Amino acid sequence: MTLNVTRRHFLAGSAAGATMLLGRPAFAQSKTLNVLSHLVHQNVLTKGNAGDVIAPWRETEGAEISWTTLDSNPLQDRLFREASLNQTDFHVGYVIDNRVTPEIAGLFEPLDSFQAADPIEDFDDIAAGLRSAMTVGGKLVGIPVRHATQALFYNEALLEEAGVGAPPTTIEELVEQAKKLTFTSKAGTPVVGMTLASDLAVFPVMFARAFGGDFIDSEFKVVPNREAMEKGLSVLADLFKAGALPRSYATTRNDDMVTWLQQGRAAFGVLPFARFAQLNNSEQSAFPGKIKAVAFPGSAGGAEMAAVVESWAMAIPANSADKELSWSFIKAVSSKAVTLGAARNGNGPVRVSTYADAEFSASQPLAKIEAATLAKARPAFPAFPEAVRAQATFLEEVQLAVLGRKSPQEAVAAIVERVTPLLPA
Amino acid sequence: MRTDRLLSGMGKALAVAAIVLWSIFPIAFIVLSSFKPGRDIFAVPPKFFFEPTFAHYLNLWERWGSFFDGLLNSLIVTAGAALLAVAASSLAGFVYSRYSSRMLSGSLFFLICIRLIPPIVVTLPLFPMVNWMGLNDTHLILILLYATFFVSLGTVLMRTFIDQVPRDLDEAALLDGASRLTILRKIILPLVAPGMIAVAVFVVVFAWNEFLFAFIFTATKAKTAPFVLSEMISSVDGVDWGVLFAASTIQLAPVLLFVIFMNRFLVAGLTAGATKG
Repeated sequence: MTLNVTRRHFLAGSAAGATMLLGRPAFAQSKTLNVLSHLVHQNVLTKGNAGDVIAPWRETEGAEISWTTLDSNPLQDRLFREASLNQTDFHVGYVIDNRVTPEIAGLFEPLDSFQAADPIEDFDDIAAGLRSAMTVGGKLVGIPVRHATQALFYNEALLEEAGVGAPPTTIEELVEQAKKLTFTSKAGTPVVGMTLASDLAVFPVMFARAFGGDFIDSEFKVVPNREAMEKGLSVLADLFKAGALPRSYATTRNDDMVTWLQQGRAAFGVLPFARFAQLNNSEQSAFPGKIKAVAFPGSAGGAEMAAVVESWAMAIPANSADKELSWSFIKAVSSKAVTLGAARNGNGPVRVSTYADAEFSASQPLAKIEAATLAKARPAFPAFPEAVRAQATFLEEVQLAVLGRKSPQEAVAAIVERVTPLLPA
Repeated sequence: MRTDRLLSGMGKALAVAAIVLWSIFPIAFIVLSSFKPGRDIFAVPPKFFFEPTFAHYLNLWERWGSFFDGLLNSLIVTAGAALLAVAASSLAGFVYSRYSSRMLSGSLFFLICIRLIPPIVVTLPLFPMVNWMGLNDTHLILILLYATFFVSLGTVLMRTFIDQVPRDLDEAALLDGASRLTILRKIILPLVAPGMIAVAVFVVVFAWNEFLFAFIFTATKAKTAPFVLSEMISSVDGVDWGVLFAASTIQLAPVLLFVIFMNRFLVAGLTAGATKG
């Protein structure tokens, strides 16, 4: 029998072979843990002062970790889509606390049975507020791994130039100093007292909380203290009217705040403690070492200030293939040793004991303030299905009040009226 | 009279200069910023004179190796999509040009209708299907999708080019005993090469810059450069603008050079059939 290969057969065979090669499955290794996360989550476990802190787990398990990294919103989209399939190749996904609605929580494996059978070391050491944010309908669906707690950043050099001796300790002082710091610096840069992004609820919520108020509390009550919210919006409107908030307030985004602080165009800004290194990076900042942070101050006669915290947690998609391996990884990452190592690599540690570590505390100038702020912090609002629309409605009314198109009282009344129907029954 | 012409000429020159400035400013800003020290990029007042640095390119190389993997993936996907789209469009264009029937007219209308559907409409329902076929995170799925979305435009374009080739040539070749495939290969395609290049240019520009399909259907192994760029705009640990601009410059350069070199084919593609009576 002779094999007669024509040019046509050869071309068809080559094309089919190439197609099969191009179409090969993405994850072929046997003992590989596939993790879907942000790049920063990979970096804090594998690079930095403490080095590769997850290496011991890889050796013990004889497993490799395949990281798929995306930015926050694409990451959440992808994770929820993957978790909606019949089966996913991802073993562990990183979720943001305010995305975990009851519907989303249903896509993930409840972790209570894993915790009961093979518990995480000193689980109660993880900040209580972060753990409760990951408990939905009485089930634990994620293990907190990173937090971003809001702080008040200030440019020490500009404060000195304007004759302000110390950062504010009350919100009233903050308003006064922000107005004083709206000037043209010696370098010729026009400075505004305060920069705030207008597209996130975090910032107006911080100002409302300074007076003991809130946007939506844990009982799903919209604006539980109207007077406090009105005061918070009045302060923002007053700052805008005085020119202490940029004219471009309505279009200011998070990255603009970083740039304005780095360039000395703003004296104060509200950002997570974790941005300290970036704000003082000598390659990017015109004021390296001069941008410092304190806890966001409350009102002189008001209630205790609860800063806004956003946290990340590790979750196991319910359709994941090897949940034992997933839990083994989560348990290792949540251990005290790895939490400390990751913190030294730049992670916001979720364990209270990490801040008590003398070496870590000495190497982090903000460790004490951050630990104290984290202890009282809570999310901007609880997770619920219409949260995105509720936030957009809230921000629309806040902007109208800040820009002087509505009185704070009218804006607050509209927030209550428009957001209440969006809450879960 | 002479003054009027002078004023008119100056007006035109100013208008052209304004349009050029408007178009080139964002690109110039990105390219120049990639060579500026980080702290000078957003300095107020702006710094127009600075000591150029390659630090951002070095940082890009050291910290974002995945960007260069992404460039390679973009190259594979772009080349694959261009080849597939040109091949399919040429064959389809030949059929639509040389044959006629009610079915063919209907299918051409259908082809154009598909082009009008926003990609996002088909993207999300496709995800579970692609996953089921095991094509997620492969080059092949992007090649197929990019080519599919350009076959309709490419077919119309190629039909217009092939229409311009006299049918007498086909008939003469048929009389000499040539098959339809030989006529296509040896007579039509060499004459419509500019059209094929025009189709390739459209596909290359689209595939090189495309984000949505890459975002939905890739994760690690077939991640393209625009997808990695989006990751650099990090909402968690901040944006390193210098590195981002360096990556954007590298991403921009090949396609910009390609379009400049292929410009005359692009114009030919855009004006094909414009004077057809």
